[in-house]
Amino acid sequence: MRVALTRRRAAPLVLLGSGGLLLAVVLLAVGVGSVPIPPQVTLEAIYKGLSGQPLLDLEVIVWQLRLPRVAMGLLVGASLAMSGAAYQGLFRNPLADPYLMGVASGGAFGATLAILLGLSTLLIPPVALVCALISVAVTLMLARRGRALHTTGLVLAGVVVGSILTAASTYLMLRGEDRIREVFAWTLGNLSFAGWKEAGTVLPYALLGFALLLALSRPLNTLQLGEATAHSLGLPVERVKWLTVLAATLSTAAAVSYAGIIGFVGLITPHIVRRLVGADFRLLLPASAIAGGTLLVLADLLARTLTRPAELPVGIVTTLLGGPFFLYLLRRQR
Amino acid sequence: MKRFLLLMTALTLGTLLLPGAWAVRYPLTLTDDLGREVTLKEAPRRVISLLPSTTETVCALGACERLIGVDDYSDYPPQAARLPKFGGLYDPNIEAIVAARPDLVLISKYGRLEEPLRRAGVPTLAVHPERFEDIFSKTTLLGRVFDLESAASRLNARVRADVARVEVLTRHARRVSTYLEVDPTPYSVGPQSFMGVMIEKAGGSNIVPAALGEFPRISPELVVQKNPQVMLGLTLEEARRRPGWAGLRAVRSKRVYKLPRDLDLMLSRPGPRIGVALEVIARRLHPELFR
Repeated sequence: MRVALTRRRAAPLVLLGSGGLLLAVVLLAVGVGSVPIPPQVTLEAIYKGLSGQPLLDLEVIVWQLRLPRVAMGLLVGASLAMSGAAYQGLFRNPLADPYLMGVASGGAFGATLAILLGLSTLLIPPVALVCALISVAVTLMLARRGRALHTTGLVLAGVVVGSILTAASTYLMLRGEDRIREVFAWTLGNLSFAGWKEAGTVLPYALLGFALLLALSRPLNTLQLGEATAHSLGLPVERVKWLTVLAATLSTAAAVSYAGIIGFVGLITPHIVRRLVGADFRLLLPASAIAGGTLLVLADLLARTLTRPAELPVGIVTTLLGGPFFLYLLRRQR
Repeated sequence: MKRFLLLMTALTLGTLLLPGAWAVRYPLTLTDDLGREVTLKEAPRRVISLLPSTTETVCALGACERLIGVDDYSDYPPQAARLPKFGGLYDPNIEAIVAARPDLVLISKYGRLEEPLRRAGVPTLAVHPERFEDIFSKTTLLGRVFDLESAASRLNARVRADVARVEVLTRHARRVSTYLEVDPTPYSVGPQSFMGVMIEKAGGSNIVPAALGEFPRISPELVVQKNPQVMLGLTLEEARRRPGWAGLRAVRSKRVYKLPRDLDLMLSRPGPRIGVALEVIARRLHPELFR
């Protein structure tokens, strides 16, 4: 990560540019889908939806299916990318992603349990959320020495807790083999039934995460000098660690519970953004959020149009799309 | 007198030879669903069935007492459900299967049982009905395996009659547009799939286009666009809470039916009970025909 700490001059340009790109992708994602809908119907649906008028056939698709789905994509993508950026800074490890502390495996375990117990589909997200939070709490308990969090210990504890939970989920999956595909589909990410209500549930978690992480951007900058140096500069290193994990866990766990495990967005978006805007967390975090949202909405657009009217799991698209793009960046910048 | 004697001899010879002409000749060589040539030295007496639909068919042929074990999911008929269990498709208990010394194991096309059992010297036969017509061809095949060919043709005739009883009613009824949800991912079924064929025979028309294949994961937008009259496989409450589905015809007229577990199992098993399953679906799609 030999990247200049700040590229202040480019900052407004980058934020403006990425904001514009985001808007374009959102418009495209609302306008295009598995059912072809003329642009004027789309606009009318948005107008009617906003003013609370009753919606006709195709307008329902625009206002009640596509828009909330795009909104959920934005929230989930932004949460994952921002948490990933924060974790990469906190652990000073380019391979860190938001799932590092066991959020994904905990959520997957909860979802598997809920699906195999035959609980109502409404109960899957809350059960997944609780299990995700518990698995992070267990990781933190295993890794802490008193009030101190040892970074290496945290990573290792997270990996082990994650592996144990994944093994448990896999065992459950094999026992309930007639529902194996449902579980499997959950672990590949799914935005199909994201409605306004679901997006509304994820929103506060995402906002809280964003606010906390943005407030932590200066301390995260200082932490890049090394824990010892940051400590000698008067930074409450342990408190920064706890708060970062808390913020990233809240937003990621909510995202995972409602959208399943969407790979790669949280890992590669921060790297892409860092190459564009530098490593200053005051810019890196919001730019990662915007880029993560854009990337996921774009991936979901492809997931629901490439094979329409069938759908692909969005997690597969993010990886197939993000992987080669990232490799390209990696080679070009060398 | 001479004539009478001749006639008697012919009749005696005939009755002696006839069953011989009908009986299956062993060793019997069959092509199974893994594309293998399998040779049976004689009719099997200690059989393990590892597919619920196969278990049902074997028992319907009257060969239930030749089963010494089944897979974890074989739960019908009750006589088969009480047999020792040997695991599932992905976690079969191979050691227990070998230790039970079966003379034939009926396996699925999927899973990887063929190789370890072959190495252990246990004969296997893959019998895996998937399409609607497979129900009958697999029954015929199992009839040959167990030397119960006439029972197999009687069973096929009975199942075809069960199906025909429903089809006679639904054939001229107006098609009811139907969405069948396999799981809330949402996975549905294409028209060529076994369940897709069942929907058509029950007087429905599947909203899923044939081009999507047999088990497509579909877009919720498609369901809104097609606005089906009946939904199967989810509860009314679930359908109501799906974004944008509350106003669909099936939901407004409350024609959304979660299939009861036993029917769900019958539907996912191309076996001898499909006539029963077909009637339950037809009653949902066309209640007016069954008054």
